[in-house]
Amino acid sequence: MSARPLSPLAMVLLVLGAGVMLAPMMWTLLLSFKSNAALMADSGAAFAGPYTFENYAAILKGSLTLQWLANSLIVATGATVGVLVLSSLAGYGFARLEFPFRRTLFVIVLLGLAVPEQAVILPRHQLFAMLGLHNSYPGLILPSLTGSFGVFFMTQYFRAIPKELDEAALLDGASRFTLFWKVLLPLTFPAQATLGVFTFLAAWNDYWWPLISATTSDRFTLTVGLASAQMNYAQTSGLGFLMAQAVFASIPILVVYIAFQKQIVRAMAGTAVR
Amino acid sequence: MIGRAIAFGFAGLLAGCAPADDRPEIVVQRFFGECGATYGESTDVAAAETECGILTTLINRFEAENPDIRVKVNVVAWPGYAQLAAQIAAGDPPDLVTMHQSVISDYAGAGLIEPVEPLLASARIDPAAFTPAARAGVEKEGRLYAMPWDTIGRLWHINTALMDQAGLMRGGNPVLPGSPQELLAHARQFKAATGKPYLIQAQVSAPDFHVALLYTYLLEQGAPIFPDARHIRLDTPQARAIVTTLRQLNAEGLTTLNQDFPAATASFIQGKGGIFPVGTWMLGPYDAEAARPQSPLHGNYAVAPFPRLWGEEASFVDGHAWIVPAAKRPPAERAAMARFLGFLARYNYDWSRTGQLPAFAQVVESPAFRALPHRADIAALARTGKQLPGYVERQSAVQGLIGEELEAAITGAKPVDAALKDAERRVNQLYAQMM
Repeated sequence: MSARPLSPLAMVLLVLGAGVMLAPMMWTLLLSFKSNAALMADSGAAFAGPYTFENYAAILKGSLTLQWLANSLIVATGATVGVLVLSSLAGYGFARLEFPFRRTLFVIVLLGLAVPEQAVILPRHQLFAMLGLHNSYPGLILPSLTGSFGVFFMTQYFRAIPKELDEAALLDGASRFTLFWKVLLPLTFPAQATLGVFTFLAAWNDYWWPLISATTSDRFTLTVGLASAQMNYAQTSGLGFLMAQAVFASIPILVVYIAFQKQIVRAMAGTAVR
Repeated sequence: MIGRAIAFGFAGLLAGCAPADDRPEIVVQRFFGECGATYGESTDVAAAETECGILTTLINRFEAENPDIRVKVNVVAWPGYAQLAAQIAAGDPPDLVTMHQSVISDYAGAGLIEPVEPLLASARIDPAAFTPAARAGVEKEGRLYAMPWDTIGRLWHINTALMDQAGLMRGGNPVLPGSPQELLAHARQFKAATGKPYLIQAQVSAPDFHVALLYTYLLEQGAPIFPDARHIRLDTPQARAIVTTLRQLNAEGLTTLNQDFPAATASFIQGKGGIFPVGTWMLGPYDAEAARPQSPLHGNYAVAPFPRLWGEEASFVDGHAWIVPAAKRPPAERAAMARFLGFLARYNYDWSRTGQLPAFAQVVESPAFRALPHRADIAALARTGKQLPGYVERQSAVQGLIGEELEAAITGAKPVDAALKDAERRVNQLYAQMM
């Protein structure tokens, strides 16, 4: 089936919409290639040369930038893997297994969706302090694993898979784990990809928890590290550097987005859970 | 083969066993940004520039001169108070931390930071050596809760070419107003002669901009802004007079409109107005701009403390300081901290090259400081600078509330009386909600 061509009006509206969405990003990109001094005198200088890589060079020359990048990768990857494993197991359990208080537990999980992070951040901080987890990778990764969204998301996906598959596998002598691992889990890859992308993005962009948990420079994630590298009046006298930081921090996210564009679009369209 | 592997393993283990480092360690936590790329190895303090560069170099030099002390540096995102609070809550605070003097009350009142008199004594720093403005910033209820490091004030940054065009220069110096009426008269004269606004102001997303003006001119009039720790007094004739004057400047188009800090900064550099009342921290960048031949500011830049418009000369100031979070520390560590503070005190002149005023009176009076560009013009701030009373907490939040109301009043969105009443009510409400 071929797609219906867009009307000229729709095309114009789409181009306008895309322009509005792209303008801030293009503006950021242009500013990042200008010297701070030129932008302090006139931010409109971004529309004309000369352009420079000095802001990016300053970021890369930062003694800890690569360490922060590595920290962010470790934390975001750890959180993603952890969420996928736990959410898949829990989702399978809630969708397929019968056990006492299953419904009650699921409602409790759903209630977790309504609790904002700010409400639990103080007790969590105290708990992590007692356990000596601050300034450590586990301290940065563990809070991501307690989110309810992944469990809810995977539960819904498992529920949508026909139960006849389970019955057939069990008749063939498969154990519960084999059924989960070899039959059902491969069917959830689209959902895994969607959940994985969202988790990675959230962990990568997280600022608040790393800010108060990672308090030594060598444990900063990229978001916190780049913020610490800014001068006090960055918006006035360090605008180019500030924008270069924004671009630099978003490059890995852009790569993830390009690699998983299909899954993200499906998730946004609400078609991942089918 | 196995024997060789075991030998390798042992060798590796031995290599990993460095001798125990029993030197005292101090953890220094600071903002001002990260500039390791340029100053990571630098120990030449005199050659360093910018707040970040000078402080990084100072710490490097301290380490080089004091090999018996380990210094661990945490550079935090400005202003770093969320991290500090978290560290204190976790029972693992750093040893020496940069803090704005206006924030000290919040921590001192809760017993989260220590009085530093013993450390100062150990470092042979006489508190009498601090300037009045600097000392007022760190003294709370008779105790010193920090070593002051500088005084941050607001200045009138002036485009002398435009002032000359407006006939407001005499003997090579700008003629500044001495009363609110004169301020309006100068502004009208300036606008008529140049076609440009007399003042450049940051009136968008800059609540502290107008608050600094209001506080300064209330302090000039001796008005008790905070009669006690839980109340502010803004619904007063003195405050009305100030805000009405600022509103008049707006209404007559004698100031730039709808600009945030970056836009106002650029306007001044481009010569789009006569005077930009912004902080000491812009002295360096503007001076550099004035030295650039292509700049509209070239050779046409002067700076002065806020002119006295009412009552006695006074200027609202803040400053940076080194505080010590409360914690148990061994004597060797305290001795190392004292040595660090003493070292910083000796280099207070170098810090003043950033544009901020020195915290030590001797440095303010020194020929070296006076020889720095424009510093002789602003040195009076060290004497006339006034802090809010030491018991005033949550100054940043309070400035946010007042700033919103002032912005509404000055831009004409709200009557002056109503804005001042609302500002007073909202601040008092904030204090009433505090435990």
